[in-house]
This record gives sequence, structure tokens and C-alpha cells, in this order.
Amino acid sequence: MQSLFLCWHMATASIRGQMQYRASFVIGVLSGMFFQGLGIIMIWAILDTFSVIGEWSFGEIAMLYGMRLTAHGVYLIFFSSMYSIDDLVREGGFDRLLVRPIHPILQLMFTDFRITVLGDLAGGLAILIAAVNLVDVHWTATNTALIVLTVIGGAMIDGAFQMLPASLTFRYIESMPARVIFDDVFSRFGNYPVDIFGSIATRLLTFLIPLAFVAWLPVSLLLDKPTFLPPWAGWLSLPVGVVAMAVALWVFVRSSRAYQSSGS
Amino acid sequence: MSIIRAEALIKEFVRPKRHTGRFAAVRNLVTRESVTNRAVDGISLEIEEGEIVGYLGPNGAGKSTTIKMLSGILVPTSGSVEVCGLVPWQQRTTNAFNIGVVFGQRSQLWWDLPLDESLNLIGRMYRMAPEHYRRNREMLVELLEMQTFLGTPVRQLSLGQRMRGDLAAAVLYEPPVLFLDEPTVGLDVVAKERIRAFIEQINAERRTTVLLTTHDLGDVERLCRRLIIIDHGKVLFDGPTEELKRRYAPHRLLDIVVGSDAIAQLDSFFTDLPPHLIPVSHDGMKATLAVDPVTTPLPAAIAEVSAAVPVMDLGVREPALEGIIREIYERREVAP
Repeated sequence: MQSLFLCWHMATASIRGQMQYRASFVIGVLSGMFFQGLGIIMIWAILDTFSVIGEWSFGEIAMLYGMRLTAHGVYLIFFSSMYSIDDLVREGGFDRLLVRPIHPILQLMFTDFRITVLGDLAGGLAILIAAVNLVDVHWTATNTALIVLTVIGGAMIDGAFQMLPASLTFRYIESMPARVIFDDVFSRFGNYPVDIFGSIATRLLTFLIPLAFVAWLPVSLLLDKPTFLPPWAGWLSLPVGVVAMAVALWVFVRSSRAYQSSGS
Repeated sequence: MSIIRAEALIKEFVRPKRHTGRFAAVRNLVTRESVTNRAVDGISLEIEEGEIVGYLGPNGAGKSTTIKMLSGILVPTSGSVEVCGLVPWQQRTTNAFNIGVVFGQRSQLWWDLPLDESLNLIGRMYRMAPEHYRRNREMLVELLEMQTFLGTPVRQLSLGQRMRGDLAAAVLYEPPVLFLDEPTVGLDVVAKERIRAFIEQINAERRTTVLLTTHDLGDVERLCRRLIIIDHGKVLFDGPTEELKRRYAPHRLLDIVVGSDAIAQLDSFFTDLPPHLIPVSHDGMKATLAVDPVTTPLPAAIAEVSAAVPVMDLGVREPALEGIIREIYERREVAP
């Protein structure tokens, strides 16, 4: 309880720090919304020509897109620090996190609490809500619960698969290329029904990199579409997220023992 | 029971070997050779509660690496380390409550937050009761004269202000141990003095144990009764500052000045000195002799010199620490 309170304080202090750069805040929010808006327009353009992608209509794809994007937005709020971890480790700034009585991961999450990514989150939510109203899905208690749990689980899966490659930074300093690979996989494959990429890719994106749980499986459940897994697999986002996050945390903490700091 | 204890502490840094010359970049990429650099090589030390210990050594001697192992930032390659009975890198978060850390080269505060806000956040992180926090904050603001810049973001503070802020943050929660890595680096004379006085006061009032690295021997002369000198990751000297002076430079120096009419007399005195008067320098009207006060009482030496030449001015000096340290760094060993 006390540490929750402390996380809250770290986050609000971090927000106040960022608010000093008001222009940068506004630009960040707007560019996030712009970027995500472009993404959905791309899909709309494709569907305007072909009308369906793997038997998914525009509204259905938009729901998938909104779901992943919302999860990604939540992920960005807590894990933006992963984008600057290489510099933090190279320049020895990680020292600071190690001499404080709070777990370094919590400090990374909350003292680098980004609100400039609110644009991404708002964009994702807007698309998700609009899409739900476009297709034949209703805001029943079960559906709402599924959507909320999926967003949380999806954010954790996203976070875990950034934290895992980020662990490399302690030994190799440069972890950016490895992180970009996962970021790319998530953003390139995540916005479409995973099974359009073929059965091998579908299994890889389910069991190796559990991207299927971020949006495809839960949205398929909501839309009553068959997948290669039983429908209840749509509820597994949160458990998969928790397990992935636990593994990533363990790896990150183990790897941080190799931290070399910097001279002087 | 020592509050800080290290035994046979070793830290090695492994780096990939850098090739030079033809195809260096490609060879760097494909070979797996590495170079091991032993930054700390078997350091053992024990520090008692309430001590202020100066931790000295030339650049690259392993001072910062030791401090980083003591504060839990680096994991030792081998050897054991204990601070307040805890192993810093294993019980890092608990250990954090016991130590305050100031790295002169890098602030531990939040760059974009006003200083006051940083202090507030630290108070919360260390679970200080609001009353306790208020009292300590007030005391520190006054002691370090921080009133005028409390609301300024840390990135806009001057070096002296930032260092005071860092010190305040490090002692706010009253840790029993303080690690100060070059706390006066780059500061002007007044700012240095303020920091030294503060360290002295915190040590006297709270019995805070302080381990201090510095290149400014003014810090050492003022604060440290005990010195640990290291080089190449090994301890060269560990003992009282006075003992270092005694062991290293037992002599007293006699500065002699004569009138211009007595230059020839001084010259001839110096060509035929008795063995207990050791020549140090001799230039025209000025000369310096070294005397071992154990074998030759100073008054006797002074009388002897005065009898031989018409002395105009005479002074007795204790060798400065600076000269001793310089000699040690240059020779890279300590005299037995």
C-alpha cells in the first residue's frame, strides 16, 4: 500500500517535471494521435479496395487495431524508459536507481512516467470504442471485462518483450536493435488477424512471441470467429502477460548484475 | 564490529579486445577475444563507526569502483563486502536505507525537478515520517544555505548549489554511512569550505561514518584523521594521517634566509655540513635544511645554524601532505 502511494508520488513528480516543457508535451500528444491516425487510415485504404482481409471487415480489423493500440498506449506510459535504457546504462545513470530503496524497475516505470504518449493511448481508445460500435459487439459486463483484462495483459506482453531485449544492455550496452526487432514484430503483425500470415507464423506468434494474445485471440472471441485454438484462449491475455512479465523481470534483474557503471 | 568491511575485494571488467590496423572494424566484430582489467585487486579494509576516512589514489586507481561495490552498484568479482552487516549488492534496497551517496561527477537528483521536489520524493522513498522530514529538511536548508534555489530545477543549478543539494539529499534520511566520491571537485574555495564544514558537522552530531575520495588534500587535512591510499587496485597505505607524515617525512624543514652580504658564508656552511643537517635546497640568500627531530632536537639545530651564519629569518616547517602524496603517486609505493 505504502509503495503504491510512493509510485503515485514518483509518477506525479515525473509529470510535473515534464510539464516544464509544455510545447514538447503538446507536440508529443498530437504526434502520437497523428501517427496512430495514419495507421488506421492505411488499413481503411486497403479495405476500401479489397473490402476484407482474411474474412475480416474494416470494423472488425479496426477493433483489433484499437485493442492492440490501447494496450500499446498503456505499455508506453509505464515503459517509455526502455527507449532510453541504453543511454542510462552507458552513461552510468543507472547508478542512481541502484542506491535507492525502491526496486529499479519500479523507478524506471514511475520516475520516467511519460504522459506525452497520452496521444497514442487516446487514439487507441477512440478507435477501439468506435470499432465496438461499428461491429455487432455490445458492452456487456463480460465483454467489457474481457476488453479491460486484455488491454492490461497486452500491455504486459508488450512490456515483457521490450524488457527482455533491453536486458542485453547490461552486457552489450547496445540493446536498441534487439528491441526494434520486437517492436517491429508487434506493430507490423499485431494489427491484422494473425492467421493471415500462414499456420507456421500463427503458431510462432502464439507460442514463441505471444502476440496473438494481445488482440487477435480475444477479439476473435468477441466476434465469434474461429481460430486454431478453443475460444476460451481469448481469455488468456492477462495470465500470459503475467507470466511473460515475471520471466522478463527475472532476466532483467539477473542481467543487471553485469552492470559496469561508467568511469569515475 | 566494523561498520564497513571489505575483504580481498576484487573487481574485474571484461571488455572485448579492440583491434587496430587493417580491417579493424570487421575483426572487432568477429573475434571473441577480450581483455580483463582488474580495477580492484584484493582490497581489504575495515572502517569503524564515526570515522571519516580519506580514500586516496591517482586517477584510475580503483577508488570509485570500490565505492560502487560498497554502495551496491557493482557486484564484486570475488571477495566479500559488508556495510552495516548487510551485503550491499545482495540486499540492495535494505542497504539503501543505511547509506547516503554523493558522486561529485554526477547528480543523484532528478534533473527536471525543482530541488525541493527532489528532497520531498527522497523523504517519501525513505519512508520518513512527515514531521521527521520537515525537521531535517529545515535544518539542512539552513545549514547548507539553500533557501534561494530550492525552487530551481536541478539542471539549472550551479555546480556548488547542485553539490549542496546532493549532499542534503544524501543525509536527509540520516543514514549511518556516507560515501562521498569527490564531493568538492570543481568547486571554488568558499563552496569547498562550506561542504567541508558540513561534513564535519554531520559526522560530529550524528556520528555518521564517512568514506571520502578526493584529489583535494585540503579536504583530507581538514577532515580525515585516517587515510587509505590505493593504486592499481591495491592498498598502499592504511593508517592515521599523522603516521603517514611521520613515516614518510619524519623530518622538519628549516628555512633559512641570510642578508646579501652573507651569501658567501652560507655557501661555505653548506659545502661542509655536519651529517645531522641534511641539505634540501640552497639558492643565494635562501636555503632549506632537513632535520630529524628524534635524533637532533630542533633548538640545538637552530642554535648550530645561527652560530655558523648570520641568520636574518628562520622558519620551521612540517612537510605538507601534498608533497608526500605526490611522491607516493609518482613512486607508486609507500616507504616501509
